Amino acid sequence: MKGYFFRQAWQNLTQNPWLNAITLGTITLSFLILGLFLVIFLNTKGLMEAWGSRIRVTAYLAGSLNQDQITRLQEKIRRFEEVQEVSYRSQDEALKVLEEKMPERKELLRGLPRNPLPASLEIQLRGEYQNSEGVKSLVKKLRGKPGIEDLQYGSDWLDRFSAFMALLKILGWSLGGLLLLATIFVISNTIRLNIFARREEIEIMRWVGATGLFIRAPFYLEGILQGLLGAVFALAMLFTFFQLFLSKVYEPLKGVLGNFPAQFLNSEQMAAVALGAVILGLLGTQVSVGRYLRV
Amino acid sequence: MIEMVNVSKAYEGNPHALFEITLKVEKGRFIYLFGPNGAGKTTLLKLLYCAERPTAGEIRVNGFDLTELKLRRIPHLRRTLGLVFQDLKLLSRRTAYENLIFALEVLGAERGEVVKKANRALQLVGLERRSNCYPSQLSAGEQQRLAIARAIVNDPVLLLADEPTGNLSLTAAEEIMHLFEKINLRGTTVVLATHNEGITSTWPKEKFALEQGRLVVGSLPLPLACN
Repeated sequence: MKGYFFRQAWQNLTQNPWLNAITLGTITLSFLILGLFLVIFLNTKGLMEAWGSRIRVTAYLAGSLNQDQITRLQEKIRRFEEVQEVSYRSQDEALKVLEEKMPERKELLRGLPRNPLPASLEIQLRGEYQNSEGVKSLVKKLRGKPGIEDLQYGSDWLDRFSAFMALLKILGWSLGGLLLLATIFVISNTIRLNIFARREEIEIMRWVGATGLFIRAPFYLEGILQGLLGAVFALAMLFTFFQLFLSKVYEPLKGVLGNFPAQFLNSEQMAAVALGAVILGLLGTQVSVGRYLRV
Repeated sequence: MIEMVNVSKAYEGNPHALFEITLKVEKGRFIYLFGPNGAGKTTLLKLLYCAERPTAGEIRVNGFDLTELKLRRIPHLRRTLGLVFQDLKLLSRRTAYENLIFALEVLGAERGEVVKKANRALQLVGLERRSNCYPSQLSAGEQQRLAIARAIVNDPVLLLADEPTGNLSLTAAEEIMHLFEKINLRGTTVVLATHNEGITSTWPKEKFALEQGRLVVGSLPLPLACN
């Protein structure tokens, strides 16, 4: 019996090859665009998380503080809920870091009559506070504290990045929604035409006593096959584009982006895309079967 | 086998397509539904295979109470029936053999059984040598025999035929009537709708005559030997 269903579904797919090719193309294109959004979104999110973990607040200390006062201040800051780790950087260490960053100015820096750089506390934030809100909240607590002369932090880009992510999300959902609706329409139309092409057989099936499910099953199978094939083609194309993007565009820019490793969809995400396509195929079929194949 | 009690069917614009029909057909009979075009023969047959539901009255066919029959149970009723339509409804893109195979396959029959039954039906109607022909390559009589073969391929207990001799020559009609008698002799109940008086008088059987939706002559069931 299963063989019959597959034979019928295959016959439906092949009896009108152009129509089915167009349907398959539409599903592939829809899922290619959706997959593209998904890859961009997931990588941007990953990039933001990677960058977020590098957020530091630097508290420059007054030169008048002795070691004892510094240790007490360090302990106090460590107890703030936003804080993961506080490390002390002495004046000498600060100069050393600067020398490493500017090797060509090394001699000039060494020739200075005295070290102009202040000692500082490098504060690393906890994961949940690695955002602009967390930074602002910590800075508020640190500002004006005795012994702290200045604070350095940079979180404006985080706000802009969050806004970009939100925009990407909205764009992805709305475009995705429209594409999915269009795909359902195209699938249902193809199924409708296949129902029409097989109307004589369907009528005979009714009269000889085939059950409703038996009559409908090949059409559902056809919808599932179309969805699944569309998803497979879309993922294959997306993977090819991704590899091309990696070699031609991303590799040269990798250093600028902080060596963030760009990721393709993992197996669970690919399975979710395929499942989504199958559900879409079923929905498209249901629209036509429900309207034109009441048995 | 068939029992109709005060069955009426009304359509919009035709309130008495069938009016208070009461009849009974016992197992193994061969009966005519006789009447001119528009008398209600096709409507009555449609009620028997549940293509239509009665407006009033009770119908029982092969143990199924059609008044109460749920939609999902209709296929079970139809599996006990063989239907021969006025317009034959043969699949033009399938050969004679494939037409029969299709009717069995969609009921989920095993391949071996399908082949056996199809060959047997083709043999019974005398089309075994024409099994690879498409309907368009068959004569009108052969097409009718193929339609009958499809109706009996699943060994129904009741065969409903709507004007099966309507478009046939006298010789072809004779062949078809002999075929129906052969099928009836195998134990299948046959209900044949016709407007052709020549047929009913040449092959006399129990006759239910319809006129404008009413049963005007309904003979009492005759003993089996008279059929």
